[in-house]
Amino acid sequence: MKTPRKALRFVLVVSALLALAATAQARNIDLTTVPPRESVQLTIYNSEDLTLVRETRSLSLKKGTNSIQYSWADTLIDPTSVEIRPLEKDDQIEVLDTTYPGDKPQHCIWNIESKIEGQVRFQVTYFTSGISWSADYVLITEPAETEMSFDGYVQIYNNSGEEYENAQVRLVVGVVNLVEKIQELARRGIIPMPAPGAPVSKGLRMRAMGGAVTEAEFKDELAERAPEIVKEGLSEYFIYTIEGAQTIPNQWSKRLVSFRARQVKFDILYRLRPHQYGDRPVRFFMLKNDEEHKLGTTPLPDGLVRTFRDNGRDGLCFLGQQQTKYVPIKEDIELNVGLDDEVVQELTCTSVLRQNFTFDHTPPVVVGWDEVYSWKEEIRNYKDKTVRMEVRHQIPGDIELEAEAARLHDYHTVEFTFDVKPREKFAWHYEYTQHQGSNAKQDRIRLK
Amino acid sequence: MMKSTGRIAFVPVVCAVLLLLGGSQVAYARIKLTTLPVRERVEIQLDNPNATLVEEERIVTLLEGTNHIDFSWSNTAIDKGTILFRVVDMPVRAKTKDDHPSVVRPDGNVEMIQVINVAYPPGENALVWEVFAEKPFAARVRISYLIQNLRRSFDYRAVAEHDESTLVLRKYIRLDNFSGEEFGASGIWAGFGNYFHREVGMNEAKQMLSWKFQDVPIKKTYTFDWWTGQQVPDEPEQRYVEMRYVLTNDKQHNMGEFPLQFGKVRIFQKDGRGGEAFIGEDWGQFTPIDDEMELYLGLARDVVVKRKISQNLRERVQHNLHHQDVVLQYTIENFKTDPVVLDIREDVWRLRDELCGGKDRAPELEIVREGTSLGADQIERKDSRTVEFHIPLEAAPKGEGKVEPLVATVHLYLRNEW
Repeated sequence: MKTPRKALRFVLVVSALLALAATAQARNIDLTTVPPRESVQLTIYNSEDLTLVRETRSLSLKKGTNSIQYSWADTLIDPTSVEIRPLEKDDQIEVLDTTYPGDKPQHCIWNIESKIEGQVRFQVTYFTSGISWSADYVLITEPAETEMSFDGYVQIYNNSGEEYENAQVRLVVGVVNLVEKIQELARRGIIPMPAPGAPVSKGLRMRAMGGAVTEAEFKDELAERAPEIVKEGLSEYFIYTIEGAQTIPNQWSKRLVSFRARQVKFDILYRLRPHQYGDRPVRFFMLKNDEEHKLGTTPLPDGLVRTFRDNGRDGLCFLGQQQTKYVPIKEDIELNVGLDDEVVQELTCTSVLRQNFTFDHTPPVVVGWDEVYSWKEEIRNYKDKTVRMEVRHQIPGDIELEAEAARLHDYHTVEFTFDVKPREKFAWHYEYTQHQGSNAKQDRIRLK
Repeated sequence: MMKSTGRIAFVPVVCAVLLLLGGSQVAYARIKLTTLPVRERVEIQLDNPNATLVEEERIVTLLEGTNHIDFSWSNTAIDKGTILFRVVDMPVRAKTKDDHPSVVRPDGNVEMIQVINVAYPPGENALVWEVFAEKPFAARVRISYLIQNLRRSFDYRAVAEHDESTLVLRKYIRLDNFSGEEFGASGIWAGFGNYFHREVGMNEAKQMLSWKFQDVPIKKTYTFDWWTGQQVPDEPEQRYVEMRYVLTNDKQHNMGEFPLQFGKVRIFQKDGRGGEAFIGEDWGQFTPIDDEMELYLGLARDVVVKRKISQNLRERVQHNLHHQDVVLQYTIENFKTDPVVLDIREDVWRLRDELCGGKDRAPELEIVREGTSLGADQIERKDSRTVEFHIPLEAAPKGEGKVEPLVATVHLYLRNEW
């Protein structure tokens, strides 16, 4: 059994020690009350090891200067980011200063001037590292491979050294800029804070923007059913807010359903790209992150996609897994599900001829010539349905190519696309001239 | 109780851990009050060559409300991220106005059992599903996961008739279970061939007959390849002739049911007296339908071939451009008592490099009729760099008759070299 971590300590220094506040001799504190966390919100970024923590606590203040001690031993909190502000009566309460005692690491003391006496809600924010999240997806196709279920998940990992109970969790999709790693700042310990109002780094500003929330968004309710994950866009980022509250103990991880899509239609495309996928055709499931495909409510964060097929015998076949990139709304989704033993491609160079020689130098020697290559390419489809095959070949040099149905993908890549019927052996021929030596004037394919 | 070794444990955990993730300090005690549901069904899916998928079904008693189901394993390499929990025959009800749209299925129903989340405790091979049930159910659930060290391979056993006209090819699937878990009676499927239902014990290898092909015609080939053939000691002009069985994976040859996966092929021949003799083995390469599986059996020492280049002339075309005028001469003796067809394979690229120096460019081959003793139907251009000559050889004369060598010549141009 592991005892949960409670590393954060929040200590209200009572009036007997107010006189010491100016020097913030924390070692002398001996009368304290520890206000509990009333709520906590985690905004977790997946592009950096960065989490913005917002917690609310109620402090009992008295008129005058109050010293509030805050410590975070054995955590990965960036000390430069720890801030406190009142959530109410802020016209009567002012944070005078923050002191980091030199003899106590991972520790600070705020001096708060209050014109009132009584309980006030405060918000403490800071950055921590050690909390991360990732997305993953599970796809299960029907036996006929025309529709699939498409389930998205998010998994949250807590290795921060602190446990956050009943936390509202928000997950940010997007790439933020950091000029210093939070983990490094946490390891380095206390460093001078920027002057109040002084510009913080570009990265910090961006983080603040990404994490902006209103108090209304702070909900603290336990989910009795699978929590819905609410998605919203913000600037260049996308925020997933998990409804209800989550407790993720230190060193635990937790996986939640992000969305479920059913009856998602998809197409199958076979690709042969020796330069990219190897010498055999590779099968792709093609769909879009849009409404037509029962998706499209949010971008899909990069993550691992595991694809299965219902084998029609009350079981699954594992087709494969791949890491996908971030997929914006309306963007294509291409899933490589690997080789298919029932679709065979064969390419044969049937002849080579040389012609159009050019001579130069004294005595004259061959300096330029053309080589004419003839090819036969065949696709054999042993499946019970038509397959669409897209073939790309990169051909370097100055090429003139003659073939029906050929199109240029780019300057040195030719592409053929065919539908091959069930049990059909489909062959096509093409020929190209490669200009060599001084005959080569370009570096491109020209279709004749 | 569960039949397994206990290495994979499946535990619905009752109320003592309802607070498991609730935040209490005692919540993480991982107290388990357990009733272990037996495995009702296990399927081992071996169709993916890179990963083995295990599916098991158990009946789990769910209470109304939130349930925690603990799944743990030890000494077993399960890919934690691949574990799926699915309810078979999911109970559903009609949607109501209180249901959030996200939980309504396309058919308008709402599933009455939902997996809320999965929690992964630190330092353990375990996970805890939090499952919500609208009312008590005895739910049949299917857990699937990828597991390591539960591997498949394929073996073939071919028994040729005494006259080597046909053979019987048996394809076996071999299952090696070093996963650290035993699976009891399990369905086993490898994508093609038969479906099996077998006990799979721990550290056990099991070989099962996946398919049997009867009366598969054998094409027996004798191949002379100057460039890849084994040298004959003290005979610089010779290479050993290699003998192969070639099996065509199509219906015409009583196969063609499915692609043949890579595996070792052991070949036996009936000895005509009720027994079998082992005549060789080879790795059978992956063979799609309609392709040929070539099985190298060994050397055919009774077919002797000498090769020499009897002419090597440079014919100038213009300036330094020339054709290389080459005559290859093969002297062939068949000491076998059966007639055979000899295939002589030439790698034109390597021939050109030998005679004209190594080049980056492909050779341009022309076979010249004049000076070539073979008919056009005996010459096969396999591709731009490979040519094969098919030469039928008579059986060696019986008695004291002498084997007369057959001399075959091929006249070729390696065109446009410099």
